[in-house]
Amino acid sequence: MSAPTLTTDTHSTAQAPATPTTAGDAARRRRPAPATGLSLLKQGAQNGGRALWRPGAILLFLLLWELGPLYLAPSSTRVFLPPLHDVLGALGALIAKGQLQNHLVASLTRSASGFGIAVVSAVVLGLLVAWYGALDRFLNPLLEVFRNTAALALLPVFTLLLGIGETSKISIVAYAAFFPVLLNTIAGVRTVDPLLIRAARSLGLSNFTLFQKVILPSAVPTIFTGIRMAGTSSILVLIAAEMVGAKAGLGYLIVNSQSSFLIPEMYAGILTVSLLGLAVNYLLVGVERHFSRWRTAVGSGNG
Amino acid sequence: MTHSPIPKISLQSVGKTFTVRPTKDAPAGSTLTALDGINLDVAAGEFLTLVGPSGSGKTTLLDLLAGLTRPDTGKVLLDGKEVTGPGKDRAVVFQQYALFPWRTAAANVSFGLEGPGQDGKRLSRRERAEKARTYLDLVGLAGFEDRYPHELSGGMKQRVAIARSLAYEPEVLLMDEPFAALDAQTREQLQEELLRIWRTTGKTIIFITHGIDEAVYLGQRVAVLSSRPGRLKEIVPVNLGDRTGDIDIRSDAAFVEHRHQVWALLHDEVLKAQQAGHAKILPDGTAPDEAPQPTSGKAA
Ligand SMILES: Nc1ncnc2c1ncn2[C@@H]1O[C@H](COP(=O)(O)OP(=O)(O)OP(=O)(O)O)[C@@H](O)[C@H]1O
Ligand SMILES: [Mg+2]
Repeated sequence: MSAPTLTTDTHSTAQAPATPTTAGDAARRRRPAPATGLSLLKQGAQNGGRALWRPGAILLFLLLWELGPLYLAPSSTRVFLPPLHDVLGALGALIAKGQLQNHLVASLTRSASGFGIAVVSAVVLGLLVAWYGALDRFLNPLLEVFRNTAALALLPVFTLLLGIGETSKISIVAYAAFFPVLLNTIAGVRTVDPLLIRAARSLGLSNFTLFQKVILPSAVPTIFTGIRMAGTSSILVLIAAEMVGAKAGLGYLIVNSQSSFLIPEMYAGILTVSLLGLAVNYLLVGVERHFSRWRTAVGSGNG
Repeated sequence: MTHSPIPKISLQSVGKTFTVRPTKDAPAGSTLTALDGINLDVAAGEFLTLVGPSGSGKTTLLDLLAGLTRPDTGKVLLDGKEVTGPGKDRAVVFQQYALFPWRTAAANVSFGLEGPGQDGKRLSRRERAEKARTYLDLVGLAGFEDRYPHELSGGMKQRVAIARSLAYEPEVLLMDEPFAALDAQTREQLQEELLRIWRTTGKTIIFITHGIDEAVYLGQRVAVLSSRPGRLKEIVPVNLGDRTGDIDIRSDAAFVEHRHQVWALLHDEVLKAQQAGHAKILPDGTAPDEAPQPTSGKAA
């Protein structure tokens, strides 16, 4: 979809310097009032602008972060909102000392373990629930209650029962990641095209083969959508859990820096968390896309 | 066409009734007779086309033959033995292609070759790929083995579906309006090819269609179903002589006459259906004109 626009762009930029008069003529003929130079300028700005438009908001935000505390905020606020270069400096120092890596590894280990446990158990349970209607009717009310209980609301319970060690953190991550995967697995199995089931059944396939060859492959893209959502929420919940009680991890880094009044370090931790979140999301979107390749036609047809 | 001792397919006073879910008007639920007292013999190697107004139970009949559902009354016999379920001796081609979108064309064709075949033997991966290629070639899709269904046109998809049903070498081909979604040219081309395949493989084919032309062109006999409940109204034998020639059969006098005969039969039924208000069918499958029968009465 973007390809045609791109070619028109290169076409007009290549032509504009070579034939300035024709371009100007055309502009004058269309609208007599504005000057020729202005329209050229406008076009140039448009082409440059388009390249800047996508990262524009981010650049603007970073600029505001850098300049705002220096020139706009009163000096009392500046302490709590250091300019960007201070934060980057702190980040560099943390990396140089190897502290950031340690916290990152601690967080990653926990979220990966919890996430892995959640994905495996939720896919298995989801397949069972979707396949056995009786199990679904039995479990659904309970699942509905748990699903609508915010994971973080249960954090004190996890801490009370499992202590403040790794177990409680991995558990709460697993809990938070469990439901998106479960619900998407169930939905994926439920939405298999009945015609495909009929086609497979007409071949005399057994229930097990039908499941393995038709239902599972057809549900895989939806399951991976759930896995991507779970990845995002597992990091979210982990940071919160680490803020409450931990001796390492990014959440701990943030809270500990705050209480030690190392404000730039605190922001460095926050920055790392958002970069980590972005990275995980991109990775999982890539994985999801890979497993939905055969569905691409459907997607591009709609969009 | 009952000159062979045991017909390939035999329907003996077959009836099928559906239970309609309870609605506001009929809270107790009701039953809907989709097929009633169908008697039909199809000889081995015969090409039978089946026409009927929408909702007359054509798909229901096909499902019974495929073994996807069981009749409520009567018997469905295949080679003299009662059909108890689906099997690889029959293949179904559906109107909406029903290809597995995550499988390439070749993998779709070899779907029915995985697992034990009719003789209980398993094919190796190589043999399956070989067969898939052969059958894709047969339907004119050589070189498209690695394409995914979304990369194929409607006509190509239906060719893959036909190749898939032929690949595991069933004796009976059941086709439910397979060409309905295709443009006229592709349809004619595929009709031609289906006849060629039928002649070379000698399969028994039951072909459902909305098109009278198609029914007369393809079928050795055209079975006409009445509007609901579906009963066999008449079977029109088609005799068009030698069809292998280069002449345009469709403008032949005999063709036109057969075509008119089927049209008149069908037109009657469509009118009847309309007069009865069947044109107005509610989403739940009930027609407002239909006196709903209480579930207990008919089902017992
Ligand atoms: N599973 C079902 N439950 C209830 N009613 C059904 C069911 N399947 C079919 N019917 C009803 O049986 C009747 C026959 O349906 P069928 O699909 O066989 O018609 P058809 O002749 O194939 O129609 P078309 O030409 O439109 O495909 C219809 O009135 C339909 O509403
Ligand atoms: Mg039908």
